[in-house]
Amino acid sequence: MKKSFLKKRAPQSEDMALQITSMADIFIIVLVFLLKGYSTGAITVAPSAGLSLPQAETQDASVEALKVEITEGAVQVEGQQVAKLEQFRFDKGDLQATGISTALGQAISRQREKQLLIAKANSDVKVDAKIMILADQRAPYSTVKTVLASAAVHGYTDFKLAVVKGD
Amino acid sequence: MSGAVDSGQGGKGKGGSQDFDLNLAPIIDSFTVLIAFMLVSASFLSIGILDAGISAAGVAPTSDAPPSVNLTVEVAADQQLILKLAGKSDAKVSLAAKDGKYDLPALTEKVGGYRKQWTDLNAVTLVSADTVQYKDVVQIMEALRKNVPVVLLGGF
Repeated sequence: MKKSFLKKRAPQSEDMALQITSMADIFIIVLVFLLKGYSTGAITVAPSAGLSLPQAETQDASVEALKVEITEGAVQVEGQQVAKLEQFRFDKGDLQATGISTALGQAISRQREKQLLIAKANSDVKVDAKIMILADQRAPYSTVKTVLASAAVHGYTDFKLAVVKGD
Repeated sequence: MSGAVDSGQGGKGKGGSQDFDLNLAPIIDSFTVLIAFMLVSASFLSIGILDAGISAAGVAPTSDAPPSVNLTVEVAADQQLILKLAGKSDAKVSLAAKDGKYDLPALTEKVGGYRKQWTDLNAVTLVSADTVQYKDVVQIMEALRKNVPVVLLGGF
């Protein structure tokens, strides 16, 4: 006689109770795992959507600095668009003979003035030369160079290039 | 889940412990909300920082004496790297592309050799062609930083 693999299931009891204790255990483990990986620092670096940072091996942690983002269509200073780009290129009318962007220079200058005012009012705050550059990995060096030059003329010479940490 | 509480009668022994069931449903609810919130707000990208200076502005000198040699690395658009050593020793070395990419292992080895020879070589100036992608510049900086602590961006 042929054996059937499709055995009949044993009849279950009508009042089935969900094992909520084990579910709570799983949730606690997931919560602890997420809390461990959660950044609690005051400094957060959140690149814009569509911005693809280059990858590099580095041990350095994030620093607090003025943030400049270079995306395919714009340059942003502290999240505000200050100059328009076309395929990562500055508009020729915006570029000076020295290779500095007028619009970007003005925005960085405003940030510098703000920093100086805060430093004047509060002796604990010091004016520094740090600037964080979050540039798309596809950007040509000419665009990055323009941003760096525009920052350097306003006293920002300590560049912190944001990268995605590699293996 | 069940537990037991004391009836609060002290040690008189009049009232026994009462069994009760801890209501886990609201705990699970709050866990679900917390996990959803953390998953949405969590950043799974680990962002690091590469330090770079600008050669035109200069960096604060670490010692009074200037370095024996200055090393400049030129990055060409055709995946070629040109190393220029100036000062007590003058040299120019070209590293051709390897498999259509910049020959980074050779660059690391060459710069490591210079560093052994000139121990006071603490900074390298990186000059790149305009069309070179930022990704390549970062990779070259990473290769240089294996041997030299300071990388200055030049060509302004």
